[in-house]
Amino acid sequence: MTILLSGVSKTFGDFTAVHPLDLSVPEGSFFALLGASGCGKTTTLRMLAGLEEPSSGRVLLGDDDITGLPPHRRPVNTVFQNYALFPHLDVAENIAFGLRRRRTGRIRAQVDEMLDLVQLGALAHRKPRQLSGGQQQRVALARALVNRPRVLLLDEPLGALDLKLRRRMQLELKRIQTEVGITFVHVTHDQEEAMTMADTVAVMNEGRVEQLGAPWELYEHPRTPFVANFLGTSNLLRGEPVGPGGEEGDDSAGDGALRVRVAGAPAPLRLPRPPAAAGTAADGAGTGGTSAEETAVGEAGTGGTSAEGTAVGEAATGGPLLLGVRPEKIALAPADAAHTVPEGHNALPGRITDAGYLGVSLTYIVETDACRELTVYAQNVERDTRLTPGTRVVAHWSPAHTFGLDAQGHGQDATAGREAP
Amino acid sequence: MSLAAHTPAPTAPAPPGGAPPAPRPPAGTAAWTAPLRWLRRHAVVLAGCAALGYLLLPNAVVLLFSFNKPAGRFNYAWHAFSTDAWTDPCGVAGLCGSLGLSLRIALLATLLATAFGTLAAFALARYRFRGKSTTNALIFLPMAMPEVVMGASLGTLFLNTRIGFGFVTILIAHVMFCLSFVVVAVKARIMSMDPRLEEAARDLYAGPVQTFWRVTLPLAAPGIAAGAMLSFALSFDDFIITQFNAGPSTVTFPMFVWGAAQRGVPVQVNVVGSAMFVLAVAVVLAGRLAASRRRTQERKAAAG
Repeated sequence: MTILLSGVSKTFGDFTAVHPLDLSVPEGSFFALLGASGCGKTTTLRMLAGLEEPSSGRVLLGDDDITGLPPHRRPVNTVFQNYALFPHLDVAENIAFGLRRRRTGRIRAQVDEMLDLVQLGALAHRKPRQLSGGQQQRVALARALVNRPRVLLLDEPLGALDLKLRRRMQLELKRIQTEVGITFVHVTHDQEEAMTMADTVAVMNEGRVEQLGAPWELYEHPRTPFVANFLGTSNLLRGEPVGPGGEEGDDSAGDGALRVRVAGAPAPLRLPRPPAAAGTAADGAGTGGTSAEETAVGEAGTGGTSAEGTAVGEAATGGPLLLGVRPEKIALAPADAAHTVPEGHNALPGRITDAGYLGVSLTYIVETDACRELTVYAQNVERDTRLTPGTRVVAHWSPAHTFGLDAQGHGQDATAGREAP
Repeated sequence: MSLAAHTPAPTAPAPPGGAPPAPRPPAGTAAWTAPLRWLRRHAVVLAGCAALGYLLLPNAVVLLFSFNKPAGRFNYAWHAFSTDAWTDPCGVAGLCGSLGLSLRIALLATLLATAFGTLAAFALARYRFRGKSTTNALIFLPMAMPEVVMGASLGTLFLNTRIGFGFVTILIAHVMFCLSFVVVAVKARIMSMDPRLEEAARDLYAGPVQTFWRVTLPLAAPGIAAGAMLSFALSFDDFIITQFNAGPSTVTFPMFVWGAAQRGVPVQVNVVGSAMFVLAVAVVLAGRLAASRRRTQERKAAAG
């Protein structure tokens, strides 16, 4: 069932938890609301559940306006953080709770069916406190799913589990979602969790949706410094565009890429033109971004800038911008082998200040004139033993892997969204 | 004591220097430290038994003397064994009447105090309103105030409002001080309840009324039960406040005992006291037994 939030906001006293928000979640999708704690994601979820009343706007489920409906009248069920299982009821009665309230028939049979789905048949008569965290999580899931809700809301459902169990439950949740085919809305602060499970991710920050799209799209083409830093790691460089035909621009390659002069870089860096929306979708067709095209986001009414206007297109008109590149896209060549850098690559000379060995990969910190700490990840395939701290190197990457961000918008600087050290 | 047990321990290092080689521990040492060691190991159990004895001894004496056949009016010296009092507990004029009155008042006061106290506890734990902290302080007052003061001031109040002293005034007084204990017990329980449980119930199609009956009340029940039991015990044996607010014809059981004690306590008072004690112990034991049986069943279900 399609969920539509239109102009929905929530204020507590003079604190605005959620700014007016437009969001549509297509039927049958796995939708993740991702953000740090206090960003408004849980409040948004609670407004969907009916546990919080929006200060403005409307909530639609399919064609029905459910804005004013109390939680027990909504065809929506929630898996709560820490599960909220009823301690005075056993597992079977916990699962039967919703069915009994609605006085449906065949309660016993439906509960047994659900116990099988989550593989807890043997524990039907235990009390919740006698179960492990993973088992409690599955009971909470069964208790919600047994009612065949049109939308299932999950509030950090895996937050209390250890890493290994969390990985397993991520796959299990995804399997169940595919099996039952209903819309899942999942709130999490764990970017990896959101990326693994969701078809569409909405990154929230300070009560606003920063960007919405398929996981690959958010990662490859972040539109704000916050998204660039919150999802993985980004190297952001401040620069001024000089235009493809500008006096310093070298357009001999004729690639149409924007040239950006970054202080400290020997030559302007290349930034590909922002791909058209259709092009982006085509790019991602193979990566599983099935629902991104149908999903729309923006900020309604009183909200700030529209999300669309923040991409590189605007920056190209002249203002300063932030040039971004992911650490794993950068390659390092020793300074004396600088001639091996492919033609047309963006290049920054520098000196390795730190090298970390992580087994599967290596992490280098490179000090360059353009950026004091350029982070570089290298796969541990054939380790170049010359790359030790102190070595002079050239860091280079393909212009195609460069993204541009508006340096002034959003009130964010290059460090927005970075986790505290 | 423990030091004495330690010093001759054979593991003590030999003094350095020209001291003679460490002697074997003398055979006598082990012999006289053994009882000390035993004492040390069982000190907690012994202290516990002593405390229990201290608490239970008076009850044992009451029970024993309920089988006495006193020589005179006073049941203070053992004379002869008899079950007369047990076979005829109402043989003393006024005793069973006062017992019935006390039970009626205690039951009614418990019922009213538990109902009002639970409501008040929910209000104080769940909502913010003007005068909340004042209410909290006022609720606490009856517990902190000396009973004599409370009894006397209530008596003055009833006298001035011209409510006739009797059953109703005693009931009002008892409900008032029982209320505090119920509020405290229930409030503590509500505060420790996870508010998400009620949200979960609402999310699972339970309306406000069903949420209350199916989730809130069962979860608060232990607190409410504790408050109710406390109320009953407090109301049943209250003497001071009752004394100030009773009418000429309303004599509760504690008042009857007090009155009888002036002229010589009848054996039947011991019978009633012992019976109440045995009943209370039986109720507690039954509760324990039921709980442990339920746990065993759960464990069995868990294992199976």
